Amino acid sequence: MPHQNKVNLIVVVNGRPVEVGENIHAPLRALINQALEKSGNSGQPIENWELRDAGGTILAPERKLEEFSFPDGTKLFLNLKAGIGG
Amino acid sequence: MSVQYVDPTVSRAKFDREIAEYKALGEEYRRLGWFLVHAEYPRVLVVLAAAKLTPSPIIMGVAFDYTNYDAAPPSVRIVNSYTGEPYKHRELPTQLNRSLPQQEIPLPGFDAVPMMKLQSVQPYMQAYGPEEIPFLCIAGVREYHDHPAHSGDIWELHRQEGAGRLVRLLEIVHRYGIAPIAGFGVQLVPQVGINYGPPPP
Repeated sequence: MPHQNKVNLIVVVNGRPVEVGENIHAPLRALINQALEKSGNSGQPIENWELRDAGGTILAPERKLEEFSFPDGTKLFLNLKAGIGG
Repeated sequence: MSVQYVDPTVSRAKFDREIAEYKALGEEYRRLGWFLVHAEYPRVLVVLAAAKLTPSPIIMGVAFDYTNYDAAPPSVRIVNSYTGEPYKHRELPTQLNRSLPQQEIPLPGFDAVPMMKLQSVQPYMQAYGPEEIPFLCIAGVREYHDHPAHSGDIWELHRQEGAGRLVRLLEIVHRYGIAPIAGFGVQLVPQVGINYGPPPP
């Protein structure tokens, strides 16, 4: 039986999907950390990454998962920011 | 034209993985307006449309060259979607502008309250002149790491985190070049003249 407070999502890290499960009361930051760890991307601080939904909306890491009511299996996209450049 | 100095089997395998992973989520990317129109080692062409507009115009093509990947980062060019020709700087449909933090500057002669607010932007597409082929000036792009100004920011510092991956680079072009498109810009120039009726007999 699935845990009531847990949601299982797919986070696509720089194009590569990883499955992550997180408590809905946790901030997105926890989800991002987990996705980075599972994808072997632990070298960069979380501030250098940007999470978006399938529609392209950027999701702030401070917001809690429960605010979005993501169903299990929802895909989110985590991408390394462009940086300073120029 | 780049010289292939990495074992081509290695570069090709990594290239094929990029393409396979893109195609596995191709439906998601198509919803954003991305169309993979060519993928044959070492080149990829993805056409980007403004999917949220109706009708949805094609804005640009993004051409990648993954020669020597990932011992070397890919080359990235903004190109004409139909001809595949790289745009000169003056022809770019967008310069991929990034907003910089707003600056407040006190006006001389006034006490601290009146402040002039400056909102500047930084283009990610860089060139020496309007006739030059511009390049995407971010880490993870060959032209960035080859530039003498970035000799301190070598590719090896970014390679492991996937900075040169196809989807990551497309996400950046989309974020700064497609997502900010708010609608069609229409300029109407009315012309006033005098209309005569039939000439009198």
